[in-house]
Amino acid sequence: MSSAEAPQPPVQRPVVPTDGTGRLTVALLGNPNTGKSTLFSAIAGIPTRIGNYPGVTVEEKVGQFQHRGRTIDLIDLPGTYSLTAKSPDEQVAVDVLRGQIAAVARPDCVVVVADATNLARNLYLASQALDVGLPVVVALTLADVAEKKGITVDTAALSQELGCPVIRVVAPRREGIGRLADALVEASDWPASSVPAALATQLASADPGRPAAARDAIARYAWIDGITDKVVVRQAHRPRSLNDRIDSLLTHRLWGTLVFAVTMLAIFSSIFWLAAPLMDLISAGVDTLAAAAETALPEGTLRSLVVDGIIAGVGGVVVFLPQIAILFLFVAILEGCGYLSRAAFLMDRLLVGVGLSGKSFIPLLSSFACAIPGIMAARTIENRRDRLLTILVAPLMSCSARLPVYLLLCGAFVPNIAVGVSWLRLPAVVLFAMYGIGVVVAAAVAFVLSQTVFRGPPQPFVLELPGWRWPQPAVVLERVREAAVSFLKNAGTLIMAVSIVVWALGSYPQPKLSADKAGDAAMLKGEALRQSFLGRAGRLIEPVVKPLGWDWRLGCAAVASFPAREVVLGTLGVIYNLGDVDPGEEEGASLLIRRLRAATWDGTDRKVFTLPVALSIMVFFALCAQCASTLVVIGKETGSWVWPVVTFSYMTGLAWLGAFLTYQGGTALGW
Amino acid sequence: MTSLETVTVGKSANVTDITGDDATSLRLLEMGLTPGVQVTVVNTAPLGDPLELELRGYRLSIRRNEAARVAIST
Repeated sequence: MSSAEAPQPPVQRPVVPTDGTGRLTVALLGNPNTGKSTLFSAIAGIPTRIGNYPGVTVEEKVGQFQHRGRTIDLIDLPGTYSLTAKSPDEQVAVDVLRGQIAAVARPDCVVVVADATNLARNLYLASQALDVGLPVVVALTLADVAEKKGITVDTAALSQELGCPVIRVVAPRREGIGRLADALVEASDWPASSVPAALATQLASADPGRPAAARDAIARYAWIDGITDKVVVRQAHRPRSLNDRIDSLLTHRLWGTLVFAVTMLAIFSSIFWLAAPLMDLISAGVDTLAAAAETALPEGTLRSLVVDGIIAGVGGVVVFLPQIAILFLFVAILEGCGYLSRAAFLMDRLLVGVGLSGKSFIPLLSSFACAIPGIMAARTIENRRDRLLTILVAPLMSCSARLPVYLLLCGAFVPNIAVGVSWLRLPAVVLFAMYGIGVVVAAAVAFVLSQTVFRGPPQPFVLELPGWRWPQPAVVLERVREAAVSFLKNAGTLIMAVSIVVWALGSYPQPKLSADKAGDAAMLKGEALRQSFLGRAGRLIEPVVKPLGWDWRLGCAAVASFPAREVVLGTLGVIYNLGDVDPGEEEGASLLIRRLRAATWDGTDRKVFTLPVALSIMVFFALCAQCASTLVVIGKETGSWVWPVVTFSYMTGLAWLGAFLTYQGGTALGW
Repeated sequence: MTSLETVTVGKSANVTDITGDDATSLRLLEMGLTPGVQVTVVNTAPLGDPLELELRGYRLSIRRNEAARVAIST
């Protein structure tokens, strides 16, 4: 071959029959952290299709672009270090390349992304790609970064060694993108690349004393060492780079931990506070829409369905969009600059003790704001087992929707007395305990699951700590856009369906009102709920909730809060005949508190709400899975309806047990 | 056998072998920890585990129990 940029095609170039459409399918294969996403954006722009491969939770991302009159589908394969499949991600990459996934056309050509700063390890994957029976083009990325580090790669020589075109690209500046597109259109018509003779020799002469897979890996690296000696030139004495200095600071025992704590605190508080005004804005928009629908539609079932069912249900979930967007913005920035791996490195030891891994930290932290973005953030965990475990325990972190429940009950029923010192009040201690319970139970559940259901051979923790670099705005925005779109899709479909079902259960059968109860609107509303399926369910489960110290109305409110925990406050208002109060407003809250304090068991003057009852409600809501959206998102993210069912069952079981112990213990202690 | 686990921060060693025949061992080889390669232990996480290594011009983190599978000579 004479030139790296436009290598001569093999001599016997076959005449390729045009398939009429001129369509090509090209797969993009590469290690994680090689600038593959940046390259994808530079070639194909915004992906045209994002979904999951059938039957697995591996993300399928396809983009489309036109070049030289051909329409090219670019498949972004999951980032992988090897084609010796050990994980679902790697299996998908192998299956796509071999054309073994029915819904996906076998690629006409594969582009291997190779990071010039780390050529040897990237060539390992390239060496395997040469063997899959497809024409290969190598895209050499981050060459500019490598050159700054004093590493230069001779692309012409590399092309010669590999027997395939090697194109140098600087994706953020779109350098080499046109040449890469030319190369992949041309290569698509060539016969498959073959294993270079030197590699074949190494593979054949490998030490027979080792296991076959190990032998193969060692032989490939022996071949790679031979190549890098020829094509990579390193400046002999490179000064300690800025990269090294940043790295030693940020992974330092003391400073690294400090920076980490501050960064996480900043992210955590921004999901709470930065998102709040945006959430208020969406809330106001939803209210306006509901008011508009209320005036536009005639009174009746349709209006109730649209306003109380769809708008209230979907609107109540869409408000979380700012939190999701902000969290993903930070995660994408941290990932882009290489900090996400350092965070996992710093936190790994703490989490490994309970069966999780360092990569679980950010999803779990985010879940304190809301489990939905937290569960979605678990996408950054490649290991399937660790990812599932993280998703299963994430809803145990006390999210912001539990806070109003805690605040109301702490304020109304926990005596405001000092604990030890005068500034430490009992309600604050109880509030803190509720957050603590979630963390402790999550740790216990993760530990138990990792020792039982998820027991298996130790999962390798090999974590690349990529060089520090600037995040690419296009990639960051794409991450945020993807998360937002997939969340809104859920809200528009499954969450809407759940809202309609819950609305129907709370509205039917239509109440039969006796004459003496007519008149008071609040009474009517309470009576309607009591007579609905939901109300009947509440009565039906009374024997189950009685040991928790609850009357049937509390049981009913707990059942009715299935769409979202905070709904319980509004339901309590309705069920105790308060009518529609906004427990978020001071007046509404004090009204609700007075009504709850006055509530008695049916037919007696025994008070329903005592301190043990209030505590048992709080513990129940700390541990239960009364959040339909979280369950829907778990279903989506795990690609299976088994996991939301498992989550709901174990959390409800623990919530009941926790509430039972709290009430019985509290009563025995005479609280 | 001396393993990579025993190497102190700042010191380097040459890999001689990876023990074991499972996914973890293969992954270590695939990440470039092959016999003959030079590895430097650059750092450890605040709680002493995992380790930060430098090899083949890049940074890799592995846990101590994985480092114990990497046989070395200094």
